[in-house]
Amino acid sequence: MKVLVIIPAYNEEESIKMTIDKLSKDAPYVDYLVVNDCSRDHTKEILEQMHASFISLPVNLGIGGAVQSGYRYALANHYDIAVQIDGDGQHDTAYLATVLEPLQKQEADVVIGSRFIAKEGFQSSGMRRAGIKILDSLIFLCTGIEIKDSTSGFRAINRTMIELYAKEYPIDYPEPEAIVRAAVEAARILEVPVVMKERNAGQSSIRPLHSAYYMLKVSIAIILCRISNHKRRK
Amino acid sequence: MSNTLQIFMIIAEVIYFILIFCFLKRKTLSLKYTLLWLIAGLVMLFFTIFPLTMIRAVKFIGVESAMNGLFALCIFFIIIILMSLTSIASKQSERIRTLTQQIAILEKRVREIEELNEKADENSNMQEGA
Repeated sequence: MKVLVIIPAYNEEESIKMTIDKLSKDAPYVDYLVVNDCSRDHTKEILEQMHASFISLPVNLGIGGAVQSGYRYALANHYDIAVQIDGDGQHDTAYLATVLEPLQKQEADVVIGSRFIAKEGFQSSGMRRAGIKILDSLIFLCTGIEIKDSTSGFRAINRTMIELYAKEYPIDYPEPEAIVRAAVEAARILEVPVVMKERNAGQSSIRPLHSAYYMLKVSIAIILCRISNHKRRK
Repeated sequence: MSNTLQIFMIIAEVIYFILIFCFLKRKTLSLKYTLLWLIAGLVMLFFTIFPLTMIRAVKFIGVESAMNGLFALCIFFIIIILMSLTSIASKQSERIRTLTQQIAILEKRVREIEELNEKADENSNMQEGA
């Protein structure tokens, strides 16, 4: 099966090369695509120098728009599986096989790499974990699916989901909403344990000042997504 | 409503319509998004020419003074127009997003084709040299 690893990158000049090198070492059997989301630093030059496989957005679209470009690319180039990992090196590509396995066995449509199952590695701050818990409960209430790490950006999807996400993908803080979007399509969602590291460099897209806005927006988005899409049953 | 007010209102509304038509003629406004402005203007014009209908309508919904009714109506139209603007902006950002993504993917293809061409050129140059 053809696998594409999508790496959204915004101002990741310090870590992008390492992320790509580690990926090529850990999983030489996959293709990858870096989506340079109109970085203002030298991310693009580094990618050019490396002769990396990348696309460069002419306008900054944010994480959702960047990831969606990757899914569009995967759709157009007939990939069977698409994996997204962060460009900052916090997702350990050694776990790529773990995330891919359920898809290759066709046991799931969406696989989420979760840092809260094995409870190893970087666990994020207490505040942030509390926020994630609230979102997880909300997702459970809306869809009946139990997720432990709904904000994890380490996830793999199969062809059916690539088609869905290429067409519509949430824009701003997409991870939890994307789960709900998949859930209302009756996708089989599976969480597997992975270990995450603390960010090497760069800034998380969730900054402390924005967290109240983040929680409010994502909560409304989850509820809206649930009520505007009727659940399909298989 | 006094006659003077009525006259000034009509003059204001005529200016309003002339402005809209000028914009439409110069194509700085597209008709699709101007319909709301036109409808709002027509309703206002109707109420200015027949103030009694407005006084009755305003009484019916429980507002005492006709002027307050007029203000409420204006604010209502402005809110509707603002909402439609937000909806237009959202639709446009959606389209811009799709375009941006498509351009980026095409740019990668162009880059790859150019690289292939360069290689092919180098190969043919080398063959000519030999």
